[in-house]
Amino acid sequence: MALRNGCVMATMTCLGAIAVTTAHAKPIAFAHGTTVMGEYGAGTMVEVQAFYAPTYRYSIGGGHLSLQSDLTDDTRDITYARLNYLAKRWNREAAQANIFMWGSIGRAHISQAGDRPTDNQFAWNVGGQADYETRRLYASFRTDLHEAHAYSHRIDTLQLGFAPYPHDYQTLATWFVVQGRNYTGGIYDGIEWAGLLRFFKRNAWLEAGLTLDGKVQAMLMFNF
Amino acid sequence: MRYLLLVSITLAALFNVRAQAGTIEMKVNGLVCGFCAQGIEKTLRRNAATADVLVSLENRLVAVSTKEGADIPDADLRKALTDAGYEVKAIERTSRSIDALRSELQATHK
Repeated sequence: MALRNGCVMATMTCLGAIAVTTAHAKPIAFAHGTTVMGEYGAGTMVEVQAFYAPTYRYSIGGGHLSLQSDLTDDTRDITYARLNYLAKRWNREAAQANIFMWGSIGRAHISQAGDRPTDNQFAWNVGGQADYETRRLYASFRTDLHEAHAYSHRIDTLQLGFAPYPHDYQTLATWFVVQGRNYTGGIYDGIEWAGLLRFFKRNAWLEAGLTLDGKVQAMLMFNF
Repeated sequence: MRYLLLVSITLAALFNVRAQAGTIEMKVNGLVCGFCAQGIEKTLRRNAATADVLVSLENRLVAVSTKEGADIPDADLRKALTDAGYEVKAIERTSRSIDALRSELQATHK
């Protein structure tokens, strides 16, 4: 039980790291657009994702997530297919707000330290995001429920971003982002805070930052 | 009389050139990031009549110039931007070229 809790905690830590780097990115970039992402999180996570959006309303694709526990030698490799859906969009003169929902199914390969057996499990996920954005301010709330036989948890993430200057299409966008994240399921006590610096221009996005305990987060994304 | 006729023909020719080099300018709601602009540009460039596209987040402006002799109906433009996830508030056909508009916007922002 302790081992399982440790594994779940390690998974939560790693998934939390993912949330730090991905929660600002919208799951649908634009109609007929392809999004490719690569992420590195706190030395415990590597993830790649690719989505194609036939319309601005939804995107389909998949990803692979490799997790290395901070607490044990356990590893988890999750390969999944995902559907993202834009439930509602509000376009205002100088602002946009969205509500996204998504779901994924996949396979989790769990490798455990010592003489404990490896396991392959069905895994699924549902989530949602509400966001509001201008050229200077960003706010989002995201919730993500992850389920498999070995784990069940939810991550709630609130993010607030500020741009020191309003960017345009041809200029470099710079954002300072603060994130607060809360875990359910007794995984993490309190709220974890992180600071991120993000740059993007045209179709490229680079983001990097630190959690309060000094762990590095980074993400690279391209839309085309 | 011949002089007046010559001037009239020249002016008419000049006006025609300017009309052909005109630009369709649209005011669009929801333009807040570069990825928005990228999606709109990609959508409009797929139209065979499109010659050039300009997107300005600052001015909430999307401008399209068409190839010589070609046009894009307002209904098609509205549908293209609506299908891209944005809301067109106004469409105006102007006589200035898209390059002139681009230079004008750049000068304004300096």
